[in-house]
Amino acid sequence: MTLAPPIYRLEKTTHFYADKQVLDIADLEIPQGSITGLMGPNGSGKSTLLKILAFAMRPTSGRVRFKGTPRYPFSSEISGKVTLVTQKPYLLKRSVFDNIAYGLKLRHTPRGLKPRVQGAMAEVGLDFDRFAFRQWHELSGGEAQRVALAARLILQPEVLLLDEPVASVDAQSAALIRTASLAARKNRGTTLIITSHDLPWLFTCTDTQLTINNGALFATGREIVIPGPYARKERGTKAWTRQLDDGQIIVLPAAASAEKTAVIQRKHIRLTRPEETGAASDNRILGTVQSMYITGQPNEVMTTIDAGGVSFMLGMTSDRSARLDLQPGVHITLEFSSADIFWQ
Amino acid sequence: MDFIIDGFIKAFFLLIHLDPATMSAISATLKVSTIAILISLVLGLPLGFALGYFTFPGKRHIKTLVDTLLALPTVCIGLIIYALISSQGPLGEWNLLFTLTGIAMGLTVLALPIVIAITAATVENIDPELKLTLVSLGAGRHHIVRTCLWEVRYGILAGVVTAFGRVFTEVGIAMMVGGNIKYHTRTMTTAIALETNKGQFADGIALGIVLIIIALCVNFCLSFLRKQ
Repeated sequence: MTLAPPIYRLEKTTHFYADKQVLDIADLEIPQGSITGLMGPNGSGKSTLLKILAFAMRPTSGRVRFKGTPRYPFSSEISGKVTLVTQKPYLLKRSVFDNIAYGLKLRHTPRGLKPRVQGAMAEVGLDFDRFAFRQWHELSGGEAQRVALAARLILQPEVLLLDEPVASVDAQSAALIRTASLAARKNRGTTLIITSHDLPWLFTCTDTQLTINNGALFATGREIVIPGPYARKERGTKAWTRQLDDGQIIVLPAAASAEKTAVIQRKHIRLTRPEETGAASDNRILGTVQSMYITGQPNEVMTTIDAGGVSFMLGMTSDRSARLDLQPGVHITLEFSSADIFWQ
Repeated sequence: MDFIIDGFIKAFFLLIHLDPATMSAISATLKVSTIAILISLVLGLPLGFALGYFTFPGKRHIKTLVDTLLALPTVCIGLIIYALISSQGPLGEWNLLFTLTGIAMGLTVLALPIVIAITAATVENIDPELKLTLVSLGAGRHHIVRTCLWEVRYGILAGVVTAFGRVFTEVGIAMMVGGNIKYHTRTMTTAIALETNKGQFADGIALGIVLIIIALCVNFCLSFLRKQ
């Protein structure tokens, strides 16, 4: 028995806007039927990656394999199979019905149009009688987002890419978008890749999460990015530092290039109460628990600790979290050795 | 002041009694304007779309050229067309001088840059999300172009109205190329110019009012289409 190839495989993929590199992915595989969360600060390359995965643009270099075969924009083999909902979805200047039916009409599928539009609207929680014949400008932000999602779901795509789907919607719309996304995977095996700054929302609807920083990907939960700016520790030494907003300093190893990003694996970070005596680590950074939320994994709590403007997102069991008496607002010390930090 | 009131009364009678000279001028004006607008749309829409949508070397220079053509005085266009179609010109053997076709050619040169410039500017301002949306819905290149044009139809309609207003009220080209021949190439505007020169202000005002009424009707029709 042979294993199904991953739905996506990116090989040595880079992308530049003019001279600025915005994406640098050595290798990425997305399994079929998975829901992947993509996190990262603004300008980190999330939207660019989604556009490349949507075959809306070619990367500057590298290849995007779809089910094992390299594919390119406007390739007929991926038309309608991969679809993207952008951050500010564009609704065509026509009714909700016509917006949702547009993709099907392109495929000359006029038969059974109404029940299919009704079905797609139901999936995103929009009442057909109330909304179908409203014009594009008669919708709220959340309703417009759901219409855009329904316009993709009606195509029954193999891959659904959602770029910040809950950035400007209310809690009800966010919950409906989550339900519709999960139902697409459950009912049709759709693969989803979702970007969001709303981490609790993202963790509740994704299986795995990736962090993107300066165009480079990291598997969240295993690696934590310490973003720049970095500075040389002292003249004549090879070590570098990262001064945090509150004045604390993280000691970093020698950098191969100032363009690289400092990364540490989660397992090398030890959490201790501030009153405990420090271990031999050269980095003891005081942070504050910002937020805690349960993830889709059983018994796992994701804790975000802010240390002078840098976020450390650490997953742990609820027992360990209880032992450390973690709760939002509590101070906690992060201990790690500069030798465990690497540049990527 | 009396001649203004006389003008209004006379305009009413000219229209009610379907005065042959007035009807001929209206017909000539509508014919040349419609032909010029249709040709400008057929040529200008794809050219304007290409100029606004694609990026290519020399695009900036072409845009500057089109913008310059927008400001081209109508007498210059009249002069160029006259030179081209007069008996000594390269198109002299086609016998287009003092014909409605000749006027329509000149008006097309007048309207074409307007249609190209407004279409290009409208297409350039298309929300970048639109193309991304269409690609992600599985639209091919042909559908993308069609849907983009449909999405900016109101902007292009504004261009058509502007171009129509310009050709409908144009006098220089019609006078130079058409020759202002009664029942043949006399348009509303050349008739107004002639009546005013003759001191027949009331006739001139009457024709001016008819011209404004027709322009209003055309704009109402376009406004109605926009609402649809």
